[in-house]
Amino acid sequence: MATHFGTMIDRKLVAVSDKNRSGRTAREASYAICSLFVIAVCGYTFTDPFVVTLAGYTCAFALFALSINIILGGVGEVPLGQCLFFGLGAYGAAIGMGKLGLPFDVSVLIALVLSVVLAAIIGVITLRLTGAYFSIVSWGLTGVAMVAATNLDEITGGPLGLFGFPPIEIGPLQLSDPPTYFAVTATILLVAILFLVALRRSPFGAAMDSVRQNPHLARSVGVDVARVRLKAFMLSAPFAALAGALAVPYTQIVTPEVFSVANTVDGLLMVLLGGAQLVIGPVIGAAVFTLIPQAMNLDPNIRILLFSSVIILIMMFAPGGLHQVGVALRDRFGGKTDDDRSR
Amino acid sequence: MTIAVAERPAVSARDVVKRYGGVTALNGVSLDVQEGEIFGIIGPNGAGKSTLFDILCGITVPTSGSIRIMGSEIAGMPPHHIARSGVARTFQRTAVFAESTVLENLLFGRHASFHHGVLGRIFGSKTFVGDQQAFQARVEEVLKLIGLDGERHRKAGVLAYGVQRRLAVGIALMTDPKIMFLDEPAAGMNGRETADFIALIRAIAPGRTILIVEHDMSVIRQLCGRALVVVDGMPVVVDAPHQVLSHPEVVTAYLGADDDE
Ligand SMILES: Nc1ncnc2c1ncn2[C@@H]1O[C@H](COP(=O)(O)OP(=O)(O)OP(=O)(O)O)[C@@H](O)[C@H]1O
Ligand SMILES: [Mg+2]
Repeated sequence: MATHFGTMIDRKLVAVSDKNRSGRTAREASYAICSLFVIAVCGYTFTDPFVVTLAGYTCAFALFALSINIILGGVGEVPLGQCLFFGLGAYGAAIGMGKLGLPFDVSVLIALVLSVVLAAIIGVITLRLTGAYFSIVSWGLTGVAMVAATNLDEITGGPLGLFGFPPIEIGPLQLSDPPTYFAVTATILLVAILFLVALRRSPFGAAMDSVRQNPHLARSVGVDVARVRLKAFMLSAPFAALAGALAVPYTQIVTPEVFSVANTVDGLLMVLLGGAQLVIGPVIGAAVFTLIPQAMNLDPNIRILLFSSVIILIMMFAPGGLHQVGVALRDRFGGKTDDDRSR
Repeated sequence: MTIAVAERPAVSARDVVKRYGGVTALNGVSLDVQEGEIFGIIGPNGAGKSTLFDILCGITVPTSGSIRIMGSEIAGMPPHHIARSGVARTFQRTAVFAESTVLENLLFGRHASFHHGVLGRIFGSKTFVGDQQAFQARVEEVLKLIGLDGERHRKAGVLAYGVQRRLAVGIALMTDPKIMFLDEPAAGMNGRETADFIALIRAIAPGRTILIVEHDMSVIRQLCGRALVVVDGMPVVVDAPHQVLSHPEVVTAYLGADDDE
């Protein structure tokens, strides 16, 4: 009963009083359509299989960045351990296919379910902690996972990892075929974005927003802060696991390195680069983070130097990420002044 | 249910002690606030007033002592339950959701009172138009009460400090609380704003019990029937504001405290 009530109110208020929200929806929808367009153009112009596969991998990793941002942009914690779920997805796919002889899609589904269960368990334990404590403890758990993956040779293939998979397919779709791989990951990414946009507009999205901004005040107006945080964590896990699984057709190997914090840091940088407060910010970040160095043929060391500098500059001058830079430029040159509404 | 009002205080605390490691923030505070009262709590900086509020509304668990709200013991109740049972609180420091608009600030509380089912969220039902209108009317009413009708789309963080304080009261009002805890609600307000604020509290007071921590004595004098003075975590006196202010211990405590400010 009350649910309907809430929904109605949301809709009405959004429609009647909060025009700037619907403006945001329109803007995000247009971004989504643009990116779809870019995706399609990329898919057709770049015929080099390596570039197309890399684009597919970028979509998979963007999914991971979205997962990170459910926590960072959603409830305001820094999830340094998020690669735990990424690795779970990757190993889930690899073990399912390589050891259990299951099809890729079935293996991935199992991994997704496991990731939610694992997130529930870890969340109950770690989410009592906030700030640096949460980050560090969740990071510590990835260390445990890495040790386990290295030593459980029978299951994980030990330090060498798992490789030499049968052709990876989802039903009739061959993920070893670069254009198909790209189309599948890009579509999943787009669906994920639309889901997250809807989530943000939902009462749960508002609850997450209140928790991120001011947990004490949120609690005092009746938000179950612990539950919101736990739900956000459980929701973020399958996104990361799916990302990990979808990365396998690109990497063709899964080693304990997937549990490295460097993986999470890459995802975090994408989020910060693109902007944490916009749903597709992390996707923009992922595209810039992976594709530009590739297109420019950058040396990995130069890449790190360049990105570190860019991140520092962005954090200093535009904490809202590239999106904020874009809005500022548009306001400057487009003569628009809807100042505080750019979020 | 049939117990006489006077026998069941709205807020009742017994021997509340709170220690943080070696610091004793509260050292045996008891109080009874009757339904419908506007009750002041005053004391120098660091006296333990905010800590007392946190404990009374269940955010902080006391080291010892017991709290009853509307007659029920709140030990073990999660804070959001207490909030949903009609207790609202404003905060001394971060009083609003700074990144959201005024309107969004008012909506946060309401979301929490709904049970969120995924299906219901996606397919809104048409049978609750009445409730919906009542809620919209509530939003409008609160916006008018706090005088932010014209500022609904401004971000809370860009509002002047005194205006944010009024918004904080508005956020608390959205849950239509029976008991309100206001922690230094008039801090940072100029004379005019304070006068408006006093009028606001008078307007919302009927049917509610209000506890106010405030350094501005004129606010306490104008609003409160009784006030409790806390010094160094200990209750000194409870009485009418003009009485407590002339209490010798209070005078000493305040003369001491004035030096810090
Ligand atoms: N979380 C905490 N950890 C440790 N000490 C605390 C904590 N919260 C409060 N204290 C200590 O308890 C004492 C009372 O603090 P409290 O904030 O309740 O005072 P107050 O009366 O509200 O002061 P003010 O007028 O400055 O707001 C202070 O000495 C403070 O340092
Ligand atoms: Mg205080």
